[in-house]
Amino acid sequence: MVNFLQLLVLGLLAGGVYVGVGVGFGLVWGVLNIVNLAHGALVMVGGYLTWTLFTRLGLDPFLSLPLDALLLFTIGYLLQRGVINRVIRAPLLFTFLLTFGVNLVVINLLLLLFKSDFRSVTPSYAGAGLELGVLVIPFTRLGALVVALLLAAGLAFVLNRTRTGLAIQAVGADRDAAQLVGIDLRHTYALTFALGAACAGVAGGLITLIQAITPTAGEPYTLQAFVVVILGGLGRVTATVAGGLLFGLIEVFGQSIPGSGSVYANAIAFGLLVLVLILRPQGLMGRLR
Amino acid sequence: MLRAAFTTKPTEGGRRWRRLFLLLGGVVLLYGLLAPLTSLDALQSAGFPLLADKLWFRIATATAMFVVLASAWNLVGGLTGYAAFGNVAFFGIGAYTCGMLISRAHWPLFLALPLAPLASAAFAALVGVPLLRLRGHYFAVASLGVGVAVGEVIQNVEYRGTPVFGGSTGLFLPIFSVDNRDLVFYFLMVGAAALTIGVTWLVLRSRFGYGLIAIRENEEAAAVMGVNTTAYKVAAFALAAALTGLAGGIFAQWNVFINQENVFPIEYNVQMILMALVGGAGTLFGPLAGAVFLYMLIQFLSGSLPVSLDLPFLPSDARPVLAQVILGLLLLVTVIFVPRGVIDFFGGQSRLSLAYLRRSLRETSV
Amino acid sequence: MRSRSSVLLVVAALLSFACGGTAGTGGTSTGATITFGAPLGLTGSLTKESTLTQQGYDLWVDWINQQGGINIDGVKHPVKVKYYDDTSSANQSAVLMQKLITEDKVNFLLGPYGSAATATDAAIAEQNQVPMVEANGAAQAIFNQGYKYTFGVLSPANKYLQGVVDMAATLTPKPTSIFMLSADDNFSLEVANAVRDYAPSKGFTVTLQKYKNGSTNLAAEVQAAKAANPDIVMNSGHLLEAIAINKAAKEYKLNSKLFAYSVGPSTPDFINSLGKDANYVYDGSQWTPQVKYKPSFYLTESQYVDAYHKKYPGAGDPDYHVAESTAACLAFQKALENAKSTDPKKVRDALAKLDVMTFFGQIKFDSRGINTYKPMVVEQIQNGQHHTVFPTDVADVKPMYPTPAWDQR
Repeated sequence: MVNFLQLLVLGLLAGGVYVGVGVGFGLVWGVLNIVNLAHGALVMVGGYLTWTLFTRLGLDPFLSLPLDALLLFTIGYLLQRGVINRVIRAPLLFTFLLTFGVNLVVINLLLLLFKSDFRSVTPSYAGAGLELGVLVIPFTRLGALVVALLLAAGLAFVLNRTRTGLAIQAVGADRDAAQLVGIDLRHTYALTFALGAACAGVAGGLITLIQAITPTAGEPYTLQAFVVVILGGLGRVTATVAGGLLFGLIEVFGQSIPGSGSVYANAIAFGLLVLVLILRPQGLMGRLR
Repeated sequence: MLRAAFTTKPTEGGRRWRRLFLLLGGVVLLYGLLAPLTSLDALQSAGFPLLADKLWFRIATATAMFVVLASAWNLVGGLTGYAAFGNVAFFGIGAYTCGMLISRAHWPLFLALPLAPLASAAFAALVGVPLLRLRGHYFAVASLGVGVAVGEVIQNVEYRGTPVFGGSTGLFLPIFSVDNRDLVFYFLMVGAAALTIGVTWLVLRSRFGYGLIAIRENEEAAAVMGVNTTAYKVAAFALAAALTGLAGGIFAQWNVFINQENVFPIEYNVQMILMALVGGAGTLFGPLAGAVFLYMLIQFLSGSLPVSLDLPFLPSDARPVLAQVILGLLLLVTVIFVPRGVIDFFGGQSRLSLAYLRRSLRETSV
Repeated sequence: MRSRSSVLLVVAALLSFACGGTAGTGGTSTGATITFGAPLGLTGSLTKESTLTQQGYDLWVDWINQQGGINIDGVKHPVKVKYYDDTSSANQSAVLMQKLITEDKVNFLLGPYGSAATATDAAIAEQNQVPMVEANGAAQAIFNQGYKYTFGVLSPANKYLQGVVDMAATLTPKPTSIFMLSADDNFSLEVANAVRDYAPSKGFTVTLQKYKNGSTNLAAEVQAAKAANPDIVMNSGHLLEAIAINKAAKEYKLNSKLFAYSVGPSTPDFINSLGKDANYVYDGSQWTPQVKYKPSFYLTESQYVDAYHKKYPGAGDPDYHVAESTAACLAFQKALENAKSTDPKKVRDALAKLDVMTFFGQIKFDSRGINTYKPMVVEQIQNGQHHTVFPTDVADVKPMYPTPAWDQR
């Protein structure tokens, strides 16, 4: 029972990162219809900024998160406005191809700038945590989960309560109608991608606390974001949050199978995913679109 | 959507391009079939120049392999409009079928090879029924999941503590001991490529093919018109799987060593789609053109071709990294300016011109 | 193309001749350049390890060319290595291997990084009958195929953590239980299975838990280890997983008397990433800068470390990936000298018969072609520094044991 509780906590904490990675990916996919293969690479850009600020200036990794968001917002805006907007009306697979190119460019620029050394941020409080009886809750992971949830809440607020957010949703629902009512498509698209990228940046900052990063370390996260977003359901922030937490739980409980541990992690996650898709194609919490 | 937007009549200049292209293609084909023969001992001793060395065979065989992968993907992704992301599973299943039969059961290659496409097709038919009920992104992700999961299960599945399929060690096949080994594998792979193109050609002008295109354009309408959509989709999926599995089977014996890493690489999923798209998805020769173009580009940038890229004034450790950046940028440029694939220039439809680039840009951007 | 490379060759020959002259070896003449080839993952997921491998090769190339080249029957042959980037893909490695053999006509091959690439390339070396000495594929499966042209200078995977087990058996209070975590790749499982088979003979019980290669979220595995409350926690994986496990062990208060990881702690990145949390961690290492062998040629251990610092300032001490890569070159050098020829078959035979002592330890291949004669050493990180703690005859300090609990550090 205690072990079960601890695993439950572990799963939710692990899910925090997936929520962070998933919300940006889901926003871009849901609104722009772009499967952004460069998402993991953008995550790493945020990671490297946090690492740089921590090692050069001693800035606390949690304090550098807004700067990650700002940097990635800017990069995301320019990327969408300058490049992706050029193919946005081509079929899905073309934007996919385009983001694959962006992915290659970003990863290799990171490799040029930061080399292939493994980098990690270990602040003084790393490893410290709450101990509730036998349950252990590390501060950094708890912090990561809280930040990820705040990020999702913030994003949901922007999307549902601000003019910009409503414009983004309108564009996602019906591009032509949105244009008719006077929404600037180019700007709105760029804003959407920028918001998605900003979320990626924050997720990257959180990831440096949990693992060592290299320029290619973001690639698995792209794959996981895929699963998280579909698992929850496309088109709603809350659905992605549920998907992320659920993915963390699946991973942790899969890992705790004695002996074989997580060797089937992907098979379990994807198996479940396929099952969900077949039984409930809109995802666990998604709207039918 | 895009295709409709672009439909234009062949121009006079376009026809000239098309003729040039056909001529060029014929020459390349002839060279591809005859040059390797110069490696035969009889011709060598007769004083023929060696036009195909072992490297030539390595690259040419790999190119033919990607032609199979991209063209087979085209049957599902291009014709039927289902963005399959997990075709590498079929490649791996084919490779492991051949690998197990040859290394464990000691079957001869030519007995084992026909079973590779059968195993892949059977698997595709099995998972295809539930998977192909999904549409769009959902199908893409689910097929990706199947691709990842199959590799993981094959690597890890154990029976009473011993790995069933060689586990993480993978399978070592005996080195194929015939003279002109390279020649055999090259013609096997080229044969598979020809078969794939031939099958695509047949499909394109059959009732079956029209059914698939109808599904791509509007699945509900196709169903109303009497197309048995489920059967058609699963058939296309299994057909693609069989061809991909055949390539996998040949690969296993050609490469001698197989494990999860080299026959289930996720990047192959991406590469085969890239090739089909760069060439021109949905067309007969597009995937072929894309596979040749992209694979040659990758080889050019990695320095394995006779002509290579010399990036001057750069420290040597930055060169490979910049080569990758260049590859990425070239992909960006291709997608932005040539969204219908490079084949478009050779089909007599369009000509590479400033106006073409400007129009492509306008068609797809906001 | 061709003319340019021949110009380069002439220049290289002249340069090396000039260097040879200043070194005072004017008596011998200069022969043709001997070219080695190696495809390495200079981009992609194996960039870090591949770069270390390249550093190891380059250190020897610099040194040997300063000497004027490899002395083959009185003639000094300068050396160069041709590298290609295989983008960390085994399939691309195969293409480039063929390029090196067929078109660049390299004399000999140095191994790539990664077990899939090494296995694929070994088959190609075999088919083309070009000797390859590899330094980065410890999995024995490659050497059980009866290949005659592939040699590995490093100790095989099954030895990686054996030293730690041997050492642990000598400690007081004696630990009795091992919780073994292992990635599910070929190399890591060979390491882990060897511990599972060997440790009971030293009085340990072993529990094995596998995880997915490349996992970064290993909290549940760490939790399983904690539930088992073992005296020793071992990990067989790579740098990425070693860092993840160590972080999770602290976060989830997994305390044990001894933490030992197969790969990872020996690299500077491990200490840089983890800071003081890296302390007390043991690893089984192919080589450490502190070992004391009596090399019969090339540099001593301390000279080697100095040469590394000079060529790669700021990179810290060379770790064993660098040293074993250099050792691969040394094997070729000695084999060429012994063979008195650059003929591939003769050099292969000379490699098979090789038995030399180097700064890396003894290099001698068993009938399968892997170096089972060199011992592994056990390293421990103490106060942010790597120290050698076992075997006692090469150790520079005593092991710090038992490892204090996380909240008492």
